[in-house]
Amino acid sequence: MITLWGAERSTVDIAEFSKLIESMTDAHAAPLAPELLDIVAHISNLILRTPVLRAVPQFVALGYWMRAAAIRRIVTDSRAAVVDGNVLAPRGLALHLPPTNVDTIFVYSWVLSLIAGNSNVVRLPATVSPPTEALLAIIIDAVSGRTSSKHLFCTYPYGGEVEHRISSLFDLRIIWGGDEKVASVNKVPIRPDGLSIGFPDRQSVALISVESYDRSTEEERDELAVRLFNDAYWFDQMGCSSPRLLAWIGPATSQETLSRDLYSRLQSVIERKGYEVAPSLAVAKLLVMNELLAEGAGQHGERYSSELQVVDTPEPAAALQRGTGGGFFLECTLDDLSDVRSLVSRKLQTITHFGFDLGQLRELAHSVAGIGAYRIVPIGQALDFHATWDGVPLLSHMTRQIVVKAT
Amino acid sequence: MIKELEQSLAIPPYSVSQGARDRILLSGLSRLTQLHYERCVPYRRIVDGYWGGRTDFQDLEAVPYLPVSIFKSQLLQSVPDSAVRVTLTSSGTTGQAVSRIRLDSATSAIQQRALANSLMHVLGKQRLPMLVIDTDAVFKDPKLMSARGAGVLGIMRYGRDHVFALTPDLDANYDAVAAFLDRLQGRPFFIFGFTFMVWVRFYELFAKRGLDLSNAVLIHSGGWKKLAERAVSNEEFKAAFREAFGLTRIHNFYGMVEQIGTILLEGPGGLLFPPNFADVIIRDPRTFEPAPIGQIGIVQLLSLLPHSYPGHSVLTEDLGVIESINEHPGEWAGKGIRILGRLPRSELRGCSDVIGVAA
Repeated sequence: MITLWGAERSTVDIAEFSKLIESMTDAHAAPLAPELLDIVAHISNLILRTPVLRAVPQFVALGYWMRAAAIRRIVTDSRAAVVDGNVLAPRGLALHLPPTNVDTIFVYSWVLSLIAGNSNVVRLPATVSPPTEALLAIIIDAVSGRTSSKHLFCTYPYGGEVEHRISSLFDLRIIWGGDEKVASVNKVPIRPDGLSIGFPDRQSVALISVESYDRSTEEERDELAVRLFNDAYWFDQMGCSSPRLLAWIGPATSQETLSRDLYSRLQSVIERKGYEVAPSLAVAKLLVMNELLAEGAGQHGERYSSELQVVDTPEPAAALQRGTGGGFFLECTLDDLSDVRSLVSRKLQTITHFGFDLGQLRELAHSVAGIGAYRIVPIGQALDFHATWDGVPLLSHMTRQIVVKAT
Repeated sequence: MIKELEQSLAIPPYSVSQGARDRILLSGLSRLTQLHYERCVPYRRIVDGYWGGRTDFQDLEAVPYLPVSIFKSQLLQSVPDSAVRVTLTSSGTTGQAVSRIRLDSATSAIQQRALANSLMHVLGKQRLPMLVIDTDAVFKDPKLMSARGAGVLGIMRYGRDHVFALTPDLDANYDAVAAFLDRLQGRPFFIFGFTFMVWVRFYELFAKRGLDLSNAVLIHSGGWKKLAERAVSNEEFKAAFREAFGLTRIHNFYGMVEQIGTILLEGPGGLLFPPNFADVIIRDPRTFEPAPIGQIGIVQLLSLLPHSYPGHSVLTEDLGVIESINEHPGEWAGKGIRILGRLPRSELRGCSDVIGVAA
C-alpha cells in the first residue's frame, strides 16, 4: 500500500504513484534561490516555536541547524566550492530514504536537497512519533501551494514492485540506515546518470586527554559529563555518531581515578535526566561484558547501573564492533594521539574529543586520512548534523555544475 | 562430588529448610566457584574482571553469576576436552545460537542421580511404568534428535516399560495407550511430556475417550508461553485433567539445560520448589540487587550440580517471584517460587534499519 502524507493522508495505487513521480522529474528550481532559503527559515521558526517540538532536544538542534543564519553559512560555503565560472544546477529528482528510528535525519537530508533546487521524494516509515508527526505537518504546510508538486512525502514498501517501478526516475538517491539497507536498496538501479549515496553502519569514539581532564575544574567536568550524556544517550547510543568507546589519551597511571570520576558524574546526569533502559537490555549488556571478559577482549568491567556499564579493553578496535547501546562503554588508554590511528577503520565515523588543540586535531586528521574517521568534533557535538556528512559534502553532491565558456 | 552435594542428596528430597540450605549452599557454591576459577580460564577472567577475583563469600547473594546466554557464545568447561563425555545443547529456533553444556562422566552421573532424587519425591522409590506424551521418533530418528528428544530420553530412565502416546506424525496412538492401561490393571504409573504437547496432543485428543488415569502421576515441563497464548493457565490445566481423566497428581517443573538435573518441582499452591542442592535468588530488574519475598524480579538459579562447567550460578532471562519461604517444612521446604515468563524484549533506536522489519 502506498500512502501519501499531506494535510490529510491518502492512498494511491502503483500506477498513480509512478505517474505522480514522473510528473516531478522536471520540476526543479534554481539552486540556493532566496525563496527556497525562506521556506527553510520559516520551518525553523515554527519548530522552535512549537511546544511539542521544543520539548525534544533533537528537534531543537534541528531547528537551530536550519535557522536563517546557519543556512546562509552553508550557502556561502557551497558557492565557494563552485568551480570558478561554472554555473550551479540542481541534480534533478531526489529520493530520500531516512532510517526508521532516527526522527530528524529525513529533514536534514531533505532541506539540503531542497536548497540544491531538487524536487524530492521522501520515504517515511509507516508510523512516526507524535513530535515527528507535528514536524511533518509543519513541513508539508510550508511547501504547500506553489512548491507542493516538487516535494512528496510518502510511505511505500521496500524491496517490492513499487521500488522497482519508481527507482529509474531518480537522479539522486540518499540511503540512510546501515550496510544491509544500503546494499538492498542499491540492488535496484536509479537513472544511469544518477548518483546513489549510501550511509552505512558506522561507529564512533570519544577521546579524552588525561592531562586536560586532570587539570579541569569541577564545573568543567560536570559539563563534560552532560555533553557526553547528550552524545551517547539521545539515540540510546545506537546512532552512528554516538560514542561507544572512550579512549583516554595519556599516562595510564592516573587514568583509572579520572575515569571513575567521569563515570560517576555521568551516572548523576543519567539519574537527573531520568534515562532508563529495559531490564532485558541491562541483561544483554551484562552478557556482552561477560563475553568480552571471557574472551580476554575485556580486562575489567564495571556496572555503575543498568544504564552505565564500562569495560576496559586491550583490543579496542575489535571490541568496538560489540556494543549493545543504551549505555555500554568500552574504554582504553592510549599513550598518545598518534596511537588513535589503531582504532580507525572504514567503519569509524566520528571522533569526539576533550582537551586537545586544533593543531593536534588537524595532525590526527592527517594521520587517519584515507583509513576512516570523517568527523573530529568536540564531545557534545557528536550528533550535530553537518552539511559534510561521512566525508561527503552533501550540497555539492546534490547539485551539478555547468561549464560555461564564451570563447 | 563436593561434600555439600553428597550431604544434600543423603537426606529426603525437598526437605532442607531455608536457613540450613543457605549454609550448605554457601559452602558448596564457594567451593565450586573456587574449583571453576582454577580450572576454567574464561570463568576466571570474568571473576577477576567483574567480581574482584573473590571465590569465598559471606552470603549467597555475593556468589558471582553468569548471564545464562553466555553458554551460547562461549564454550565454558572446567575439565580437559578429553574428559568431556557429552555436550548438551539447548532448544532454539533455527538460526539461533544454542547453549553448549559440557559434561564429564562424573557430572553426568551427578545430574542423573540428583534428578532421580528429585523425581523420587513425587514418583516414589520404585521405577514405574511410563507413558510418554511424544513419539519415539523424536529420539530414534537422528534428523529429529533435538533438545526435545534429549529431554524425553533424559526422563525416560526414571520409568520402565515405556509406551508412546503419539505416532511419528504426532497423531494419537489410541491403541497403544489402551493396551498400556489394560496391562497395568490399575497399578500406578508415570506420565511425562512437554507442557504444550501434553495439552495439545494429549488432553485435546484423548479427553473424550473416557480414560481412567487416576493412578498416574503426570510430570510436565517446557513452559507456559504457548499455552498462555491459548489462555490456558496452570490451574485450568490441572482442573481439565482432573475432570477428563480423574488425574490429580500433576507436577510441572522448571529447569534448563544450563543446569541440567536441577528442577524446580511444583508443590503446594502450584508453586515451584528448588531441590535441597539448589536455590533461587530473585533480583531487582533495575538494580540487580536481591529482591525481597513477593517482589517480581529476574531469576537467578543456584545449584551444586555443575562440576564440569561453571553453571552453578546463572542469571536467567526469566522473571519470577518468591511467594513463600519454609511454609511447608519437611515435604516442600525452602522457597516457593512462581515463574512469570521471559523478560520483555526491548527495541532501541538507531541509524541502522533492519530490512524486512523496517516499517
